Amino acid sequence: MKIGLEVHVALPTKSKLFCSCSMDDAEPNTNICPICTGFPGSKPMLNSAAAESGFSIANALHCKINRNMSFVRKVYFYPDLPKCYQITQMGGAVGSEGYLDIQGKRIGIRRVQIEEDPAQIVRDGMLTLLDFNRSGTPLVEIVTEPDITDEGELRSFIANLRSILYYLGVDINREIKADLNISISDVRVEVKNVTGIKSLIEAARYEIARQHRVLEEGKAIAKETRGYNEKRRITESLREKETDEEYGYVYEPDLTVFDISGMKPAEPVYANEIAEQLAEDSDVNAKTIREMTMLDRHALELIVRFRPKYKMRSIIHAIQRFKKYGKAEVPPPQVIEKLIRLVEDGKEVTKETVASFEEGKDVSIEYAKLGAVQLDKLIKRFLDENPRMVAEYKKRSKTINLIIGRIAKENGLHPKEVAGRVTRLLAGY
Amino acid sequence: MASHIKEFLGAEKPGDYYSALVEQLKKANGEYHAFNQIDGSVADANNAVPFSSKANICVKGFETTAGSKMLQGYVPPFNATVIERMLGDDRFTFIGETGMDEFGFGTFGTNTEVPAKNAFDSGYAAGGSSSGAAVATALLKYHVALSESTGGSISTPAALNGVVGFTPTYGSVSRYGLIDYASSLDKIGVMARSGEDIRIVFDAVRGRDDYDTTCAVQDIRDEKKKKLFVIEELNQYSDKRIHSHFERLLDTLGEKYEIATKSIGVLGSAVESYYIIAMAEASTNLAKYNGYKYGLQHIEPNARYNEFFTEARANFGVEAKRRIILGTFIRSESVKSRYYTKALSVRSMIIKEMGKVLKEGFIISPTLPVTTPRVSDVKKLTPVQEYAMDIFTVPPSLGGFPHITFPYQYTDGMPIGAQLVGGQANDYAVIDFATEWESEFDYKYKHNIGSL
Repeated sequence: MKIGLEVHVALPTKSKLFCSCSMDDAEPNTNICPICTGFPGSKPMLNSAAAESGFSIANALHCKINRNMSFVRKVYFYPDLPKCYQITQMGGAVGSEGYLDIQGKRIGIRRVQIEEDPAQIVRDGMLTLLDFNRSGTPLVEIVTEPDITDEGELRSFIANLRSILYYLGVDINREIKADLNISISDVRVEVKNVTGIKSLIEAARYEIARQHRVLEEGKAIAKETRGYNEKRRITESLREKETDEEYGYVYEPDLTVFDISGMKPAEPVYANEIAEQLAEDSDVNAKTIREMTMLDRHALELIVRFRPKYKMRSIIHAIQRFKKYGKAEVPPPQVIEKLIRLVEDGKEVTKETVASFEEGKDVSIEYAKLGAVQLDKLIKRFLDENPRMVAEYKKRSKTINLIIGRIAKENGLHPKEVAGRVTRLLAGY
Repeated sequence: MASHIKEFLGAEKPGDYYSALVEQLKKANGEYHAFNQIDGSVADANNAVPFSSKANICVKGFETTAGSKMLQGYVPPFNATVIERMLGDDRFTFIGETGMDEFGFGTFGTNTEVPAKNAFDSGYAAGGSSSGAAVATALLKYHVALSESTGGSISTPAALNGVVGFTPTYGSVSRYGLIDYASSLDKIGVMARSGEDIRIVFDAVRGRDDYDTTCAVQDIRDEKKKKLFVIEELNQYSDKRIHSHFERLLDTLGEKYEIATKSIGVLGSAVESYYIIAMAEASTNLAKYNGYKYGLQHIEPNARYNEFFTEARANFGVEAKRRIILGTFIRSESVKSRYYTKALSVRSMIIKEMGKVLKEGFIISPTLPVTTPRVSDVKKLTPVQEYAMDIFTVPPSLGGFPHITFPYQYTDGMPIGAQLVGGQANDYAVIDFATEWESEFDYKYKHNIGSL
């Protein structure tokens, strides 16, 4: 079986690919200008941030980089395409002949090309509406070789691609749009416009099973283009495909050849490879580390930096929780070391721990050293010195919180750490 | 000949100069159809030289049709960069849009609903596709025309109307706001009554523009040459009359320049390559005029797909249809390598070979291989015969080299033009060649509307 993919992802730029219109969400047809609506006389101008982003993706996928990249016009009539041609890349694409290693296998990348998204078609009853806010959105299309041979590899490929793109600042979970080429015999069937990772896997699974079924029934698989019906979770025939589509490509003469040799691609991060290395001197296996880090930059940073040997997952979660509660972007190393110790002692990191860290009183750590005997001594002394509070408690048990709070505060302890022992010891008064 | 711009700006003018000018021009335009629209507000101008723009250059708030029924009612919401620069220059004031062959598709100006007429004799062809620009320049004494050439659309009408027509180096003047014919060949240029005026306008509009990334040539050179080359492969196409006139021109020029014949074999394929590239690009540029967002929209929206397109696209003229159909064919996968790809490589060779020759000297030729044809004779030409008239203007167009046409002879009351081509970015030297020619040769005009 052979599966090839054409994956489209939107690039995280502030403005569109060929004009300065904003990419922010807005009322329909408000982020538009003569360029992205194709007014006669308008010309495209390349957004260098998009070029750089495309370059980074091609570089991360080990492509040969076309230092002099150029564009072509793909001509077809459709209402969402105001110029009636899409500006995209072919031979002059930013990247070609690359690869992506998934666990144990190399998947070829034929091409990475930068292109513009058409407008959005919105069906409203009898009406077909067009929103040109989307027209000119910068996309990258990643075209693979048909090297994927089963669903497992497809999942793995998508997971790895998603991780690489994530580390380049592109989130593809919902935005991913892909065309699948699946052939289990020598007939290629294209499943077009599948949106979202979940649908992509489902569509592939359905289509593989369908083709097997057709063959088992002794029939021939038709060369055709199919679509994926998300509701019914099946692929459906759109059209028979006797010949390849005719797009009449010409060079895009409104854009020059772009020399991108002055640009610097973003450093790629291969979380799966790093996970393998990390697993070597850890009690945690590579799979666990992958799960934790492929879509989590902070987790990866922390693991690489501190290499905790035990309870890695809990430690990372603790540190992340600390970051969530705390104000500091990255906790200082001494804090992290204490956090690690906390977790190793079987303690939870809470909002309060973080608060005490921020006030500079890391007594929680002292408490860990203090031990139960010392704590009890401390509590007893307080109760002995404050008989009125004890009496109050005997009348209204709710006031225990006041006692816990005072003890915690006076001794710089965490209320939670104190609470259990206070309740126990109060019973003796 | 001195600069008309400078002369005009320094001269005393009667208080009603501009209103009188508009009135006279409107009257003349009724006969010659140089202008599609005259901007009445020019009557309020104050000491500025009127400039016109070809109807494919967008003027904000001004119907800009590129000579096509398809674009009737298209009022651009923005100015082309060249218009923006001219409007921002207080030496100039906008006077109106000049007529042209539909989308620039024509050598003689006849491919439009109301063709302009030759300013010397209205029975003769005005030349195209910037026909209106050339006729306007031949009618108005003080005026400059922003025009545009893809494969000779400035040189040809300028020559037939006896004005100076300059096509700059590709990429030296922004095309933003130009309604495209063939984007890799389209160049906005200038027509005027003297080389000096052309240089003034060229400097006013040229230079970097963020809105046109192909506008990348900024350093314009002024390398004077001593040698003039006549290209063997091209010269043989001149008819006898043109040949003998041109020989005499060479005799005159021979007093100052060294004249030599050169062979550039690849130029034998120039016209074919030009039309292949131009049509391929044009068919994509014109795809947007389909009645969806652009193009005449009076079609029943519930019509079936094929009916909708057939009806919408029927609004193109015959020549536009021909170029769209041929261009679409040329681009198709099965024949692309035989036509489009081959034409692109011929073009690269032309750029290289001509570039070498132009380092040594200028290339000189007649502008057209024939004398001005009558309108009735133009109508008898087959498309291929008409395309062949571009033999001299196509090579510099394919190479993107600057060229200028200037009148050098008047025969039977009609002007005859010659064309000089210079190397890439050597525009000043090319313009100055015409200025130098003017110091010894007086241009003649039949009309001098607005003279002081």
